[in-house]
Amino acid sequence: MTTVTATVKAAPRRVRPLRLFAYGLAAALDPLRLAGLVVFALIWEGLSSVLSTIILPPPQNVVARLWTDFLDAPSLSYYGVANPNLYANLLYTAENVVIAVAIGAAIGIVAGLVSARFSLVRAIINPVMMTAGTVPILIAAPFLLIWFGVGRLSAVCLVIFYVTVILYLFAQRAASNVSPIYEEFARTLGASQRQIVVDLLIPATVPEILGGLRIALAGAWGLEAVSELLGSQEGMGKVLEVLAGATDSEGIMASLLLLGLVAIIVDAIAGWAVKRLASWNAGLSSERN
Amino acid sequence: MSTNVAPRMIELVHVERSFRRADGTDVKAVNDVSFVIPEGEFVCLVGPSGCGKSTLLQMLAGLLEPSDGDIVVGNKPVTGPGPDRGVVFQKDSVFPWMRVIDNVEYGLKCRGVPAAERREIAWTYLKHVGLSHVERAWPRELSGGMLKRVAIATVFANGGRVLMLDEPFGALDYVTRHQLQDVLLNLWNADGAGTRRTVIFVTHDVDEALSLADRIMVFRSGNKVDDIAVKVSRPRTTDSLLLPEMVEIKRKLLHHLGLDHAAGLDAVADEAVA
Repeated sequence: MTTVTATVKAAPRRVRPLRLFAYGLAAALDPLRLAGLVVFALIWEGLSSVLSTIILPPPQNVVARLWTDFLDAPSLSYYGVANPNLYANLLYTAENVVIAVAIGAAIGIVAGLVSARFSLVRAIINPVMMTAGTVPILIAAPFLLIWFGVGRLSAVCLVIFYVTVILYLFAQRAASNVSPIYEEFARTLGASQRQIVVDLLIPATVPEILGGLRIALAGAWGLEAVSELLGSQEGMGKVLEVLAGATDSEGIMASLLLLGLVAIIVDAIAGWAVKRLASWNAGLSSERN
Repeated sequence: MSTNVAPRMIELVHVERSFRRADGTDVKAVNDVSFVIPEGEFVCLVGPSGCGKSTLLQMLAGLLEPSDGDIVVGNKPVTGPGPDRGVVFQKDSVFPWMRVIDNVEYGLKCRGVPAAERREIAWTYLKHVGLSHVERAWPRELSGGMLKRVAIATVFANGGRVLMLDEPFGALDYVTRHQLQDVLLNLWNADGAGTRRTVIFVTHDVDEALSLADRIMVFRSGNKVDDIAVKVSRPRTTDSLLLPEMVEIKRKLLHHLGLDHAAGLDAVADEAVA
């Protein structure tokens, strides 16, 4: 018996980002998943042939509608939407999500990590965050409308609030989960406090924090759209609101389909980033790499 | 023996450490321990679990403050952890988010040793412990024994003159444990007589202590109860453990551990007590 087992390959095994992305794509195109989608489309098709098109428009009409409305939807200008196409409204929503996730994540992660390390800070922040975490955030939307009006700000604030709470909880848990043995070892090797934060605390918590970011991102999309629905001049939520007012089922489903597609793509990119940034972690990287 | 000439490396004077239990009572984990270890000596601390040997090591490492007494290492009082005293822990302490080579050079990097130089040093020690073929691997890809080798290489590469190992091989299988004892002794010997590092090795394995140590200190309920020199020449083999003087030391150790009956050594025990 030799202690040095042959399972470890000597050569540096750098996984090319493109290859990893291709793996992700292959997983998404899994035959079983495809079969699920086909069955869903068939049932939809079948039901729509029985029901009226106002209740359930057939899938091909929805796809066709998405195709035309994406760049040009004149009916929207008729209802008072500033940009009469899905593309510009999607961009508006996406911008708000990106801004809100960036700000919320920055606040939440820093607060979470600091509170995990300093019990005094934890004693102060924890009750606030825990309470905030239990409140259904959407009921704050009307309140934010009073404060900030129907502009971009009220929706962004709502999403920032949501993302901050989620990432605070994830970052704090991630930091508390890091075994103290690593810090002790680093201190005996001569690491300073700053080096312990940069070289230990941050890399050790990256996988869990990215997992939280992925969840927050998915939630942020929905929350942004809903808060636009409640009061906004632009965005996918506004589009859905005016289409609902016009009982345009086909248009609504086309918009929802677009939101769904974007959410799937964003989640796939986030998942790929998690794998890439935490390749040391067996729990998160795929068995293939 | 050169122990009389070698400068004192570690000195403990009336060191105590108590812990407060949940019910409010104090427990003395280490009780009035004093000793001097000269530079280059390989000392094993032996005792049943809960005897205070790991607490003592934690205090020497600077991770735990003594309740009373003084600890001086290399003429400087210990006030906290530092790179002059390397520690190999019982649990795996290799950073999972750094590749093997980055782990080994981490201490050097912390102190600003230039990249090329520290890589060279890390590479040398990695080769010494037989892991040069996995320098770019992630720790999760290694076995428990290999992780211990990485930890040993890291601590040696860091260059501390005192090395402390807290039951490092306790969780390993018989074969791996013996291989790692050899790895450790070879590294310790590689510095050459006169420049060897001072090693404090905590173990509850009597045979391990006998094959490694220049000197064995025995602890029981926080007290140092014996201090035995092991003068058998190196390198020691399994046969060395059968030498009369070794057997004599082993009897003493087993007696201290309360294992006389298990070993059927009642007679010797009586003699030792007398």
